[in-house]
This record gives sequence, structure tokens and C-alpha cells, in this order.
Amino acid sequence: MTGPLVVAAAVVAIALAPLVASTYHVLLMLPFMAYAVVLLGLNLLLGYAGLVSFGHALFIGIGAYTGAFLTSHFKIRSLEVILIAAAALGALVAAPVGALCVRYVKIYFGMLTLAFGMVFYTFVLKFYRLTGGDEGTPFLRPSLLGRSLEAMPKTDYLVGPYYYYSLGVVVVATLCMWRIVHSPFGLCLKTIRDNPAKAETLGIGVTRFRFHAFVISAVYAAVGGALLGPPIGNVDPTLAYWTHSGNIVFMTLLGGFTSFFGPVVGAFVFIYLQNWVMSVVPYWRLIFGAILAAIVIFAPGGLLGLVRPGRAAVRAAGRRGAGAPPAESRP
Amino acid sequence: MQVVFGVQKIFNLACGSFYALGAYVGVSAVGWYAAAGGPPALFIVPLALAGLAVGAVGVVIERGLLSFVYERDETFQLLLTFAVVLMMEDAIRLTWGTAPRSTAGLYLAYGQTQLLGATVPVYNLVVIAASLAIALAIGWLLTRTTFGRIVRATADNREMAAALGVDLRRVYAKVFTLGTALGTLGGALVIPATAAMSEMGIELIVEAFAVVVIGGLGSMRGAFVGALVVGILRSFAISIYPELEMLLIYLIVIAVLVLRPRGLFGGAGV
Amino acid sequence: MRHPSQATPEPLRAHGTRYNNPRYNRRQFLGLTGAAAASAALRFDAAPALAQAEPVKLGVLAIRAGIAAPVGAAGLRATEWWAERVNKSGGILGRPVQLVVEEESNPKDTVERYRKLVLQDKVEAVLGGISTGVTLALGPVAEDLATPWLSWDGTTQKGVEETMPNPKWAFKSVDNEVEAIVAGILTPKYFKGIKTVAGIGNDYSYGHDCWESYQAVLKRYVPDVKFVLELFPKLGVTDFTSHIAAIQQSKADMLMCSFWSGDATIIMKQAAAVGLFKTMKGVFTTAGGVHDSLKKEFTPEGLLLGYNTMYFDDPKGSPLLKQFVREYKAKHNEYPPYECDHAFFNAESYKAAVEKAARSGRQWPEKAAVAKALEGIEVESLSGRRSWREDHVQMCNFYQGITTHKNSYDFVTISPVEVVSTKQAMKPAGAKLFDWINGWKI
Repeated sequence: MTGPLVVAAAVVAIALAPLVASTYHVLLMLPFMAYAVVLLGLNLLLGYAGLVSFGHALFIGIGAYTGAFLTSHFKIRSLEVILIAAAALGALVAAPVGALCVRYVKIYFGMLTLAFGMVFYTFVLKFYRLTGGDEGTPFLRPSLLGRSLEAMPKTDYLVGPYYYYSLGVVVVATLCMWRIVHSPFGLCLKTIRDNPAKAETLGIGVTRFRFHAFVISAVYAAVGGALLGPPIGNVDPTLAYWTHSGNIVFMTLLGGFTSFFGPVVGAFVFIYLQNWVMSVVPYWRLIFGAILAAIVIFAPGGLLGLVRPGRAAVRAAGRRGAGAPPAESRP
Repeated sequence: MQVVFGVQKIFNLACGSFYALGAYVGVSAVGWYAAAGGPPALFIVPLALAGLAVGAVGVVIERGLLSFVYERDETFQLLLTFAVVLMMEDAIRLTWGTAPRSTAGLYLAYGQTQLLGATVPVYNLVVIAASLAIALAIGWLLTRTTFGRIVRATADNREMAAALGVDLRRVYAKVFTLGTALGTLGGALVIPATAAMSEMGIELIVEAFAVVVIGGLGSMRGAFVGALVVGILRSFAISIYPELEMLLIYLIVIAVLVLRPRGLFGGAGV
Repeated sequence: MRHPSQATPEPLRAHGTRYNNPRYNRRQFLGLTGAAAASAALRFDAAPALAQAEPVKLGVLAIRAGIAAPVGAAGLRATEWWAERVNKSGGILGRPVQLVVEEESNPKDTVERYRKLVLQDKVEAVLGGISTGVTLALGPVAEDLATPWLSWDGTTQKGVEETMPNPKWAFKSVDNEVEAIVAGILTPKYFKGIKTVAGIGNDYSYGHDCWESYQAVLKRYVPDVKFVLELFPKLGVTDFTSHIAAIQQSKADMLMCSFWSGDATIIMKQAAAVGLFKTMKGVFTTAGGVHDSLKKEFTPEGLLLGYNTMYFDDPKGSPLLKQFVREYKAKHNEYPPYECDHAFFNAESYKAAVEKAARSGRQWPEKAAVAKALEGIEVESLSGRRSWREDHVQMCNFYQGITTHKNSYDFVTISPVEVVSTKQAMKPAGAKLFDWINGWKI
């Protein structure tokens, strides 16, 4: 099994990147790592529970605004506190939202999450006295492990301590998620995805499991959202807009939701590809739309699916059945 | 849009883009028409024709993209239409540039009239009449013609329809094109009263989504009621408490989805 | 949260130079992170050392999509026109200008684009920035990256409060609310006997700031004025039928509207359809942004219309303005809006500052010297003489006037043309807006 080796090598490579890559590319790794956390969570829903959320920007927004509020209004700068608060708030909001949404599957689930996402977006945009409206709220530089680091130039802070802090969070998040999907809980989710009726007869509480998956993924999105804030320095409602939700689903699909690390790879490729295409042509949306269409049509397993065609094809066939007639869904 | 969802179970995020496309083409068509010296009173003819003609892109998108994913989960179809949204936005900018496009004085070409004490442009009445006519025509098409029966049969049970010898691919292509043409026609017809902007597609999706959900997916009657509900709510909110305008609509959408996921007029089964 | 062992801070190193990697290392890095990164590698080229004759790279941030895309396009076109002109006349200190254009979109992506321009493309300065949300995020980044940033139309003030009072590198636009203040000053002059006013603006900072300052100013001139209705539709709405009905019901004497994009055209059309301005006066503080779409068929005479800082048809306009309008029309088939003037002024003032800082020798000046030279500098822009105030805020004239159909275009223009300087209508450095307005002697 070469998997763990590849992963370890990737972590080492990311850790060494600041020594060899240009500052700008190191800075681009920061949103990548934040999205990596978000997507690990999103994929629990998408890849393992078979539910496509079109409203996860809601939780990214909650995480980012939590950090912005704590640093700007409450003078709390500790990133540890911010991340814990973001996770807690994410779970708090996800509980009622999830309780309603997970009763539905497929398109209805997607539409409900989209609607909730837009409610949150409209809320932060409209109540400008509280949230700053379109101007957003500043996300002041958080202190890391009790060290304020205010004296450093921001760029040095971001490519130095903050970079390694983010990497640490990604590693911890990955290990936790790995445990989750390989626990009995994860196996039950997959059973539910492939055949809900059978799962029910086996005594698995379908709704309850989906609900837990939803809340966990929301917590991940909120933590990722909080990590996304400091490099921008200002948190605004576009983070919660539905096209942002669309983008993260795009990333997941690009990398491939049939494998554990697919979405993470997707985030990496998306960010660097966007960076490149945006500089070369003004009409990058056209190109990205075409790429998305091509992936959906020709490579539903995403990039990792292309690397491992055999396995992906089997899984892709299984994926078809996310809640669809069982006859088709058993590989 | 309703037609498309009802039959193919595709939730089309790109309907807003078609609407924007129709609007732009409408502006251009009327521009050419005026340049060619056509009588102003008949401008609605080239407008409507242009709107319908550009609906042909529906065929291209259906054949070129969507037909590949009918066998897969609806999520893929949703994502594919999201890709179309991204591409159309840039395609429109490439063709028409970024400046908002607007027709000059056509809105008032038919004059104004007094209705219930308010001044109303006659053009608004023309558009309302046209929408009703289109709705009736679609209703007639779906319930009284052979094509309509095939379409409804497919919507109810595609396996059964296929087994009975219905060519699903052709039905899908026709239906999707019809849906697209309705979207582009709508965009073209509304243009004299407003201006074409490249982001109008993205703006419209959310509202169309609300209309459809409130009305019930796949229900024509529902779409009308949904549009009416959204319209009334908006003007109500604007005069009572403007802050709530959009929020209220989403809250209703959620309430409807939670309480009656098939919408107010949705059928009982799936 | 577990403590990541690597989180020891790196030793501080000088800016910009430290991570310039040899090719060998780069390949190694790519090999480790996977072939997926290959596409990104195309942008890894390190900038060659600048020689005197090398082009001077200037970054440009322009909005390309969405509601403000026309504004971004206008700014970019004017910057390109400026660059062509400068290059024809020998460049800046003999170096030709090369523009590196990036897209201004949401704050997150634009901050990344900005870092790319400075760190990767190694530009000498960045021009552009329109949306307030974006520029609020850009301000601190610009300060951190130690490169002059001249913003076309983006302030760094939140509401009416300045959040970056003493910037070193960021050069900011005119305050958001100035055109509303100008309109407030002019309203009593042209519309006598106004008792009740309704307001409509986009639901974001600009719309709210304009409405609040307009009310404050008008109250000073007409103390018994009543504000009977305020509406804030979302940016990008294309149907105002319900809003117009509410405005009609309010029976106000006058409507104040701060729309600046396609929605200004739309509300004008839909208002004409119900004859709104037959009974009501109208003030459009910023609709001059889309002036050539305000066709005569639906835009009445007698409205107060604001063109921001440049009026393309200014009878007193300079030869430079006339040449620009002519060539702009020939190339883009449109008449230029105000954003052109901001963009031209930014670029031209940068050139002047470089030349001023280098006056002692022919040596290309340090970025810090250029930033210092920009403070207080005055240059000839499209609309006339414009300057940077010492605290990095643009100074200029605002053009507003009463709409007329007496012209050779198919859209409205203004006559008479009122010119109000920011010296009169913008709060002085460090002042609180409403205290300042309430302290006016009238």
C-alpha cells in the first residue's frame, strides 16, 4: 500500500514549500489548506453519505464571521479560541438546519441547503449595522498558541507561523476524518448511501446518521472558513454566496469525491488553475465552465478517478445510486 | 423551466442565463429592426421572433452536454447547468460587452392607459396577455396533443414510456428546447421595460428557484401561483418593511420545502 | 487543537527576495506535490533584474464581471489610452510602460490577485480598485507589501469613518458620499419649496452613506424638510415596479436616487412609464455613470443629474478631454463616463511622482520616494487639474446639472453645469462627517 507514503510525502512537500517556492505561491497555499479542511467535511456528505449540499458556503461564512467578530468586536485574538468557537457555532447552526434538510435527499436536499445558504447571505448583507453589510468585518491578525506576532510584517506572518499552523490544522482534521470514515459510523453512512432501504432494515437510523454527517461537515466548513479569514483580513458576504457553494462542490468533483483525498487534490488544482487562467485570459469563467462540464461528462471520478480508473469506475457506478433505484446502485 | 423539470427531472440552474441571453438578443434584434426602418408599432414581432430563435441554443446544450448524463444522478445535471451558467456569462460578455444594453423608447411605443386609478404602460398589458397566451398554448400542447401525451407519459414513468416505443432522446431534446425557448422569449419580451445586464442571469436564478419551489416542481399551475406569491410578497414587503424583502422569500421557500416538499400544487407521488 | 510542531516562526528576512528559487528546487517541489501542479508551473518564472531600459510594470485591477463591469472597463480603457500616450512620448524616465491587468472580483480573490501583482509580477505600483468591500481588504495588504497602490474609486473608509487614517502606500478615492453632499448643496438652488423627500439607493454601503449624508446636508438648507420614505433594493435588481408604486404612494415632492449602474436606466424607464416625474422632482446623484443610456425618450428634462468627476461634454473642457472623448467614441462607440478620469489621474500622477522623485538624478526612484512624492502632487487630468491631498485622498471637481434634451445626442446632457470642488464638499482630513456638515455656516 503506497497510499500512506504518498500522503506523508505530500505533507513533507507542503512543509518544505516555503523554503523553495516563491512567496506568492506559498501564500496561495493558505486558501488551499483552508479549503482542504472544508472539503474533507463536505466529502463526508457528498462522497460518503451521498448528499450534495449547495449551501456549504453558509458554514464557511459562519466560521469566517466568527473569527472576524471575535477579533474586531470582542478583542479575542487567540486562533485556538476562534477555531473552537467557529466549530461550536457551526454545529449550533447546523443542528436545526440539518434536522430539516436531512429528511430529504437528492435534489430536494440540495435546494434546501441552497435556500438556507441564501438566508444567511441575505442576513449578513442586510443587517449591515451588525455585520458591516457588503463592507464586511475586519478579521484582525490572530495570535497563534498565545503568541501575538503583531510585530511581524503580515506577509512574513502568513508564510511563516500561520502557514505551519494551518498545516497543523489540516493534518489534525485529516486524521480525525480518516478515523470517522473508517469507523463503524462511516461504514453505516456508505451503506445508507448505497441502499437506504437495506440500511433501515439492518437497524441503521438513516436520518440520524445523515444528521450527524451533516453536523460534522458543517463543523469542518466552519473551521475551514475561520482559516480562510486571516489571509484576506476582511470577511464579507460574498464568502456565503451560493456561487461559492457551487465552487466548493466544483473542487470536490474536480479532484474526485470517490476517494478520501480527491477533494483536497481538487482544491489544490482549482486554486492554482484559477490563478493561472485568470492571469492569461479575462474570460476565465468560460474556461472553467468548460472544464467543469468536461469533468462531469467524461470523468465523473475526478482527477484521482483518472489516475485510478479501475477503482473509480466501480465506485462511479455505485455513485449513480445515491438514493436512486437500488437495482442500479450495487456494483 | 417547469416543463423541463417535470419531464426530465433536471433542475436547470442555467434558466437565468437563457433569460439573459434572450434579453441581449432582443436588444440587438430591435436595434437591427429599427435600423432597417421597420414601423415602431410592430417591434414586438422581431423581438418575439428573436427570443424564440435563440432558443435553439437549447438543442445545442441538450445534445452537446446534458444528453451525456441522463443516466446519472441529478446532482450531475445540476452541476452541468452550473457550468453552463459560468460559460454563458462570459459568452454574453464576449458578444455584447459589459455595458448594460437597453432599447430606447419602445417601452412607451404603445402608450399608457389608466387602470384602477394607476397609469400603466400598454406594453405591460401586452406582455401579460402574451404570457397568458403562451401558458394556455403550453397547457393545450401538454394535454390535448399526441406530443403532450408522450411528454406526460415520459414524465410519469420513463421506463414504461421507453418500453412502449417512445424515443426518449427525441422527447428530451424537444422538451429542453421548448423550455429554453420559453426562457429566451421571456428575456426578450421583458427587455423594453428594463435593460440587459450580464449578471441578470445569476440574479434571476434565485428568484426563479423560489417561484418554482413555492409553486411545486413540475407543476405549471404551481409556477403561476408561485410567481404571483413572490410578486405580491415583494411589493408587500417593500411597502411595509423593506429590510425583509428577500429574506421573506427565502423563509417561505424553506417553509414550503419543509412542510410540502412537492410545493403547493405538486402531485402526490414522485 | 493539537500543537503543530513546525509552528516555530521563521527568522525575518527582507521582502520579496527571499524565496526566489533555483529551477532545480522548483522541479523537486513539483515532483513531490504531484503532476497536477504542472499547469501552475508556467507562472513560476522569476522576474529578470530590471535594467534602465526595461519596461516599467504597472499592475491594474479592473472589475470584469457583474454589475460594476462597465465601470471597470471604462477605467481600464482610460489607463490603456494613457499608457499608449506615454509610450508614444518616450515613457517614464525613458522606460516604456507595461500594464499587467488582473481582475477585481470578490475581496478574497482580489487580495490574492494583488499579492500576485506585487510578489510575482514585481510591478512598481498597482492602479485600480473600485468596490468598497474589496478596497477595505486591499488597504492593509497594500501597506504590508510596501508598494504604492492608487485606487480609482475605492475608499478605505467604513461607512463614513476612516479605518486607515495614516496610510503610507495606499492612495484612496474621494469619499463615497461626496456626490450626495454636492447634490444636497445644489438641490435647494434648483428645487424651491421642497417639503417631502423620498430616497432610493442600492442596499450596500454606498447607497446608505449617500442617503444619510444627503439628508444631513439638505436639512441644513431646508430645516423643515421631511424624509418620508427610504428604499434600498438589492444591487442588481432589474424590476422596480413595486418600488416606484411605493414612491408614488408616498406623495413626496422629490425623489433622491443614488443608482449608478444599469439600474439607473431601468428605474428611469419604469418611472417614465407611470409618469412619475410629471408630478415629482428628481435628483440622480450618480446616474451620470451610465449617462449615454439615459435616452431622451424616457429621461425627462429638469432632473438634477450628477456626473461624478468628469463631464464628457463640458463646454469648458480642455483639449485633452476633447481628444479623449473623440478617440474613446471612435474606438469603443460609447461616450466616456467618469471612471476614465479617476483612472487617468491615478496613472498620470504616478508618472509625475516618479519624475518628481527622480529630479535630482536620472536614477529610477525607490518605491518609498515615489509614494512620498505623490503626497500633494497636482497634475493635468482629463477633467482639469487634480491632486492628491496630503493624507492620500483624491481631490477633484464634481459635475452636476439640470438635464436637457437640447443637444445632438439621443440621450440627455446637463445645462447649466455646476462645478463643485472637493475642497467644499468633502470632509477635511480627520474630521467627523456629520459634525463637519452641522458646523457649516449657511
